[in-house]
Amino acid sequence: MTEPVCELDLVRMRRERLAKLRAAMETAGVDTLVLCGQQNVSYATGARAPAADHMRASWWRAVAVLARDEPWPHLYTDFPEGAPPELPDEFLHRAIEVETRAGAADLGRVVAGERVALDDAPFPLWDVLGARSPVDASVVLGPAKVTKTPDELECIRRAQAINQNAMRIVRPLAVPGARAVELSGAFLRAVAELGASANTVDPVFQVMPASVAAGPFSISGEPVFPIPTTDVRLRAGDVLWIDTGINLYGYASDFGATWIVGRDPSPVEVEQFERWQATVDRALTRVKPGATAADLVEAARDHDGRRPWLSYFYLAHGIGTDSAEMPFVGTDLGDAFDAGLTLQPGMVLVFEPVIWNDSSAGHRSEEIVAVTDDGYRWLSARAQLDTGAGV
Amino acid sequence: MSRLDTCLELMTRDGVDALFLGREANARTVSDAARLWLAGTRVFSPGCVVVRSSGAVHVLSNTDAVVPAGFPIERLYGVTWNPEKLLASLAAIEGVQSSRRIAVDGMTPAALALITRAAPNAEIVDAGPIFARMWAIPEAAKTAGVARAKETAEAAMAAMVDALDAGVRPATLRGIAAEALAARGAPTPAFEAVASPSVDGESTWLPVERPFESGEPVALRVGALHDGFEASLACTFVVGDTAGGPRSPVGWDDLVRACAPGTRVDELRERGAVVWGLGRGVEPWPDELVLVPGLAVALELRDDTALCQDVIRVA
Repeated sequence: MTEPVCELDLVRMRRERLAKLRAAMETAGVDTLVLCGQQNVSYATGARAPAADHMRASWWRAVAVLARDEPWPHLYTDFPEGAPPELPDEFLHRAIEVETRAGAADLGRVVAGERVALDDAPFPLWDVLGARSPVDASVVLGPAKVTKTPDELECIRRAQAINQNAMRIVRPLAVPGARAVELSGAFLRAVAELGASANTVDPVFQVMPASVAAGPFSISGEPVFPIPTTDVRLRAGDVLWIDTGINLYGYASDFGATWIVGRDPSPVEVEQFERWQATVDRALTRVKPGATAADLVEAARDHDGRRPWLSYFYLAHGIGTDSAEMPFVGTDLGDAFDAGLTLQPGMVLVFEPVIWNDSSAGHRSEEIVAVTDDGYRWLSARAQLDTGAGV
Repeated sequence: MSRLDTCLELMTRDGVDALFLGREANARTVSDAARLWLAGTRVFSPGCVVVRSSGAVHVLSNTDAVVPAGFPIERLYGVTWNPEKLLASLAAIEGVQSSRRIAVDGMTPAALALITRAAPNAEIVDAGPIFARMWAIPEAAKTAGVARAKETAEAAMAAMVDALDAGVRPATLRGIAAEALAARGAPTPAFEAVASPSVDGESTWLPVERPFESGEPVALRVGALHDGFEASLACTFVVGDTAGGPRSPVGWDDLVRACAPGTRVDELRERGAVVWGLGRGVEPWPDELVLVPGLAVALELRDDTALCQDVIRVA
């Protein structure tokens, strides 16, 4: 179990997020922030919307417009019941359909200010706002989101706890003969019962091949992961990589584990887990304010200098209203990027190295910490060597 | 004519040299890619490219396990966090650099900079009209796919109705629906199932979480996304009396009958209906679309006491 970060206060959380956005707008010289990405609207306003497939979600999207000289963001939504109670009525509006030309023109009329920042626009809205040369909203969202308030950290911790507790229900079902999609179903039922606001990603229960060559074609020559869960039956000895995420109050969880189906882990699998844990532990020795992502990368390297993670992913990533967001550590953005990224209190790191022996598969789990004033604190349970009994 | 051929023909008609697609349903439409499902909107980024001159579809993926068998692996481009690498991948696609007109299904300031560098002479236009025209065209694979998704949604709806007893919570019913969808091989929904009090003024999308009482009318919604095809259903039952069948809103039968060839979508909307097209996700039809045989309609009507949604195939 992890310890609560604070007594959760969602009103305080939203107030502090808004203050961070304003500060970032001030720094970036942005007058008006226009947000169409659902996670960004949620961040700026606290608005909820039903979880849905991409196209439906696009047409349902709420829009937030935050002017620097106004006390609240304007929220345009089909789901006013999802707006937070403290948002004054005059800032809560009927949805504007920015997917259409008429709706985009309507929104264009309410966006004032010289310098506009925009996150993601349906093309009709781009047609309206593009002439004003909007800057990318990441100049505001990046600095605001990269560190989390205690309430945000508590949301992530609780989301992760729901995810982990659901996995305690699912793990005993991962036996020879079980269908992978049934594990997904059991997981989805469990997270709903346990209080998740929504599920955010197709739950991945992927049977890994013993070697890259024995698996699907890989563009990078590395193990391919994740692949959507298919209707396969598990067999004794299968190495199952799990990756799931839920949403709680707008915040994501990220659970990763390796389960061995129908038998105890082999000595090789035990050794893979120990190397995985040692990789994270080496990185953790460097986690404190002032350290750089490059320090973590350096510490996590194998004794022979290799980087034990997938080159197309990372050693670690942040998490918040998006399931993978800044800070990124050890990505293909390169060494200079890592050297320039300095850890600050309130940053969150999801570690997900991969240990791979190309004949006996490998180990992948995930562990989450938050950077504190003098080190880190746990937001996830520690990964465990799979015994089939729990997670 | 294949779906891709239709797309290429529409590109020709609009003088579009390349499509850069960020929306998964649009990528599914041209490529049948089955990449990892994520809920919600995503920031626009070109995850699928169609080039008119070569007739080729290119897909952002590290593996061919998510594209149909026989898809050429040289038309995959890899997952990256590095915009320069994505730029290099896009620019390396035959026909992109020389494009004079590129249609996109979304835009960000960062993406604009990227596309402008990949295709310096290209005018960037909206891909929406191309897809809107494709949504109006019936297609055997789409009809069959939506029908299968409907069966999956029906199984999940039946599981929710079975569990609609006094004291059951909305979250429990949501979980039961998700479990039933997954059992039929569709762990991804069109939207998360909802159970809500069917009372005038109550939200049937974001309900208050409280146990249902005996005798209370409850609206149930479920949407399946099965093998990339969508179907959604809604109906209203009374807790403790589900054997009595669902309640229907006034005018429902007439509305269903109106889903006939020649009807314009706004004629249905004028009767109070919520109308979406169904295919590889929802197909948001404009008012002026005219129904033709083979199209699948997600038809919804609500009055003071009942909510109903069904998938109607235009015959």
